[in-house]
Amino acid sequence: MSDTNGNSFFSVKDVHAYYGESYIVQGISFDLNEGEIVALLGRNGAGKTTTLKTIARALDPKLKQGEIYLAGQNLHDMKTHEAAQAGVQLVPEDRRIIPGLTVEENLIIAQVAPNIGWEIDRIYEHFPKLAERRKQEATSMSGGEQQMLAVARALARDVKLLLLDEPYEGLAPVIVHEIESILQEVKKLGITTIIVEQNAVAALKLADSALILDTGKIVFKGTAKEVLDNKELREEYLAI
Amino acid sequence: MNKSTSIFSKYPIPIFSLVVLSFPFWFEYIGGYPGLDTKILIWALMALGFDILLGFTGYLSFGHAIFFGVSAYATGLMLKHFSPEIIPAMFIAVIVGTIMAFAVGYLTMKRSGIYFSILTLAFGEMLNSAALSTLQDITGGDNGLTIPDVKPVLFGIRMDGLSMYFLAAAILILGYYLARRIATSPFGLILKAIKSNQERLEYTGIDVQKYKLGGFVISAIYASIAGSLMVIYEPYVATEYLHWSTSGELVIMSVMGGVGTLVGPMIGAAFMLYFENVLSVPLGEEWLLVLGIIFMAIVIFLPGGFMEGLARIKKRYFNKSNKEEK
Repeated sequence: MSDTNGNSFFSVKDVHAYYGESYIVQGISFDLNEGEIVALLGRNGAGKTTTLKTIARALDPKLKQGEIYLAGQNLHDMKTHEAAQAGVQLVPEDRRIIPGLTVEENLIIAQVAPNIGWEIDRIYEHFPKLAERRKQEATSMSGGEQQMLAVARALARDVKLLLLDEPYEGLAPVIVHEIESILQEVKKLGITTIIVEQNAVAALKLADSALILDTGKIVFKGTAKEVLDNKELREEYLAI
Repeated sequence: MNKSTSIFSKYPIPIFSLVVLSFPFWFEYIGGYPGLDTKILIWALMALGFDILLGFTGYLSFGHAIFFGVSAYATGLMLKHFSPEIIPAMFIAVIVGTIMAFAVGYLTMKRSGIYFSILTLAFGEMLNSAALSTLQDITGGDNGLTIPDVKPVLFGIRMDGLSMYFLAAAILILGYYLARRIATSPFGLILKAIKSNQERLEYTGIDVQKYKLGGFVISAIYASIAGSLMVIYEPYVATEYLHWSTSGELVIMSVMGGVGTLVGPMIGAAFMLYFENVLSVPLGEEWLLVLGIIFMAIVIFLPGGFMEGLARIKKRYFNKSNKEEK
């Protein structure tokens, strides 16, 4: 994490975001180097998901103030699909699988808009389970397989910033293990990633650095190890 | 039934063509008469295009009479004032319909659900009243646009009877082929995804608004071609072509046949016209009542329309999965 003056690969500057009248994200700033993985932690309602959605330029929440830059492009002026074309890939909590379409059709759709990442064949090589199920309706797969597809879909695009919202949520421990190893693989690809996770220990295993949010403000910036070693911090903000 | 549907899913275009091309030769044995067959094809074409909008994207337009009607007037005016040759007339009609579709689609597709439906209805009514009042010098107002003594021709060949039928048949078969191609293309997948979740599509970088408008315009082009064919078939523009009841009938046909199946709405169109023109004779004045009861029964017991009925019969009697249907 570098707090230098704006030449980072990704930077968020004094961002304020609202859901209707509710003031959720209350002026956060941070920078990421290319390839860095940061765990965005905090209690329920701290504004973690809202932060991710704001970065992905979702229609809701509304970004009322602040600037977001990714590889020299200003995301704050973009619409959702423009941010996605600029390289932001959000894997939301609900895994973003499109109902009624097969696994393969979900991947095909991900490659309609520019810019394209991995070819579908390469995805199947890396995720043989998806290859087996290519003709199956995607929402009929298990939670773990859907999560796998959601990650694969992100790789199908030219992803510069990967936003993972609770990738382990609602998955059985065995499956969590499987997704963990997939994310370790993704980490090796050197994709800049923000991971939001209730399971802070699992997220910190993956992350280089950590940010802790509390009521919409950043209360801690540091390395993953610092969080794991600091008992008070963990008890106050993470309840672990 | 099982046999025919599974053969159909294997060779949809040849079988569809066979049915359409042989239709006028057996239609009279089930009470049909010459001319009604052509009308059925024209309505089927419009219902087919409507399914690209309603069936794929889930957007329920109550204003598709706009494109049918505007194109009908354009065709009528071209035949009357320019030439009885149908190619320039159809060409201009489709251009006018397409421009109309871009304008109406751009303004209405930003809204969804009931707001979209109401907006399209309002546009339709505006145009309808304009045609009957402000523009009555051009449109013929309440009398409709009469085109006396004009006999439409295609390269000098008179378009009536069977030649007219086969013109409509060729266009419908081509239209069906293209609709199927659209259904399996990435464009079609996106339209179907719009129905389930637009936000998720935005996250994959797709400009949803653009694709929605594309679906709307394509479906309006089908309606424009149908409107144009209707005037070539019967050189007169009835005021009801632009009336909301035309849009409403289209919705009823689609629901009865089976929304999102492409074939279903065409069967729905055939059923409606057959009912209106053939079965209504023995039923007498009560025919609309009976049609209403049939429609309600379908909506309540067979929400997937005739196509769901076929699938259920197939499942019950042949105990085979109906997965590859559609």
